[in-house]
Amino acid sequence: MARPAPAVTPPASPNANVPAAVRVRDLTVAFATASGERPAVSHVSLDLPPGQITGLLGESGSGKSTLALALLNATPGRVTSGSVEIDGVGDVFALPAAELRRVRGAEIGYVFQASQNSLNPLKPVGKQLLDLGRSHGERDLRGLLRRARGLLEDVGLDSARVLSCYQHELSGGMRQRVGIVFALVLNAHVLILDEPTTALDMLSQASVLQIIRKVHAARRLTTLVISHDVGVIGELADRTAVMYAGRIVEEGPTGALLVGPRHPYTRALLAALPRITGDPELARPLSQRPPDLMSIPAAGCMFRARCPLAMPVCASTEPVTAEPAGAGPVTAEPAGAGPASAGSAATGPGGYRVACHAVPGERP
Amino acid sequence: MIEGRGLTRTFPARGGLLGRDPVRALRGVDFTIPDRGAVSFIGESGCGKTTLGRILCGLEDFDGGELIIDGQPLSRLRPRQRETYFRRIQMIHQDPYSALNPTRTVEGILGAPLALRARQRGENDGWVRRRRAELLELVGLDPGFALSRYPHMLSGGMRQRVVIARALTVDPEVLVADEAVSMIDVSLRLGILRLLRDLRERLGVSVLFITHDVATARYLGPGGELYVIYRGQVVEHGRTDTVIGAPVHPYTQCLLAAIPVLAGIEQPGPQRPVPLGALDERAEPPGCLFEPRCPFAAPGCRSERPVLGQVGETAQEHACLYPERRAVVPVSAG
Repeated sequence: MARPAPAVTPPASPNANVPAAVRVRDLTVAFATASGERPAVSHVSLDLPPGQITGLLGESGSGKSTLALALLNATPGRVTSGSVEIDGVGDVFALPAAELRRVRGAEIGYVFQASQNSLNPLKPVGKQLLDLGRSHGERDLRGLLRRARGLLEDVGLDSARVLSCYQHELSGGMRQRVGIVFALVLNAHVLILDEPTTALDMLSQASVLQIIRKVHAARRLTTLVISHDVGVIGELADRTAVMYAGRIVEEGPTGALLVGPRHPYTRALLAALPRITGDPELARPLSQRPPDLMSIPAAGCMFRARCPLAMPVCASTEPVTAEPAGAGPVTAEPAGAGPASAGSAATGPGGYRVACHAVPGERP
Repeated sequence: MIEGRGLTRTFPARGGLLGRDPVRALRGVDFTIPDRGAVSFIGESGCGKTTLGRILCGLEDFDGGELIIDGQPLSRLRPRQRETYFRRIQMIHQDPYSALNPTRTVEGILGAPLALRARQRGENDGWVRRRRAELLELVGLDPGFALSRYPHMLSGGMRQRVVIARALTVDPEVLVADEAVSMIDVSLRLGILRLLRDLRERLGVSVLFITHDVATARYLGPGGELYVIYRGQVVEHGRTDTVIGAPVHPYTQCLLAAIPVLAGIEQPGPQRPVPLGALDERAEPPGCLFEPRCPFAAPGCRSERPVLGQVGETAQEHACLYPERRAVVPVSAG
């Protein structure tokens, strides 16, 4: 469908010092619907800095999983523009099928959203690991099992027991850890976790989060964590990108983004979060629901229907991402900004960007 | 008012060659759900909180103790008589994606129980239509939008609102919400929690909230009570604010310390205890049930099983031989 693309593709995160391990540029993924092709991900640029955990935060249907699957060139939609470059791999959309197969698993580990239920119920875990090794042409299957045992111990599981277990003999938290082992056993250096803790209780969640952090650091991974839960991202991620209706609307170092969110959507998301600290009376539910593929506006800002700061320009022009004005404490806040925007250093060393007409930008 | 007195439930062991020990899901639980109250049961998966909720709704039997509804002990009633009591207690299920019939519109989903209710009360079809619209508005849905929709056309939050509206069709006095927000996007949870709170205020229903996420229990309105359950035993009980603000049982402390901390806004409490190992539903330690996993266990914990009581200078009841306040709750940064 004809959508005016932003005139210039903005650099993802203006952090020029270290080259990113994964570079997404101007990525658009569209799905066929009854009324033509609709983009689930629209002109997204995102860098995953090496050795860091990047959090991708968004509501159901915001396009997070579509974006993550595109990193494997495995999205069920059609990639209509853009590129995904991965260190040591190149452009994943240009890879021949055999190479792509190798890359999935050997370079990029993916823990699926339903990884809880994505084990084969008819085979013990050990046999499935061997299947994985064989399908990747692994010659040294003993070595593979040895690595798997090491990884299983790393994630706090009894390796001898788990390898002979069927899926139903493992708890939710254990399956999730097995999923992480499967993703890493072929020595992937990029790890993608899609909703790693949904359906886990708080104690299992806490231990899975701790394991992710530990494995990430020990193996010097580049990690992408996808979640709708601000808590998971806030606890885990070094940098956070907020996604709304297929766009990244705000991105920056997690601490700065949570303390001084600039985009009205991020602010609303934080104000609607049930938390253990703070006054429950000050929490504000999000009004209405996010747009889905069919109700995404054809032009203008995607968030304007729910936005307290919406202006006429928001209906006509889609805001492009820009670094918010002022590297220091914020002085000029848009009117009616609310208490969540208490001034702070929003432009961290790693770069900060926001896509909103109401946030004064450095580049007009 | 609903009271549980010493409720027990034991599930016979399934499978296994050597004859496994039965699982003791509830071991003598006392609780009170006052009218218009907000009572939360918290604990990890497998602690027995769901069994308790199911017993309250009549979906599960108890094998010891007594359930007393408005002064009427249930075990003295015949099954037929029990039904009228259980009508007053309605469950809101965890998964709004599977709790609604996918082949019926919202109109049909609400219409069937309302038609039954109309017959009981001698009302006509007009009443059903009015009541249907009224209930949808009460749960924050626009009848014009929702009535003709099938469940798959609604978001998780909207479906959960339909589930709540359906529970309200029979004029319940108690809503049992078993993990009612855990499968909904975090962004929409507050809306559902606010709705439950509003229903308390506007309809005078009481809410029994079953959850593993302690933070959500804070959003049900004033006067909440919290029961922390571990392996079928209440290990700490008190006002929600008190228990969250100054927990004394190590299990409660582990649950609170497990809450993710928002970088920048919050920081973890000075102590962040983690339970040792995973829950083993079959282990029967002679002493405290939590002792095998307790990071603060003392030798005495292995021989004596503590009972719930108000020992030491605590504002809440607890079942710990060595209760101690520890700063485990995340605190606001800065």
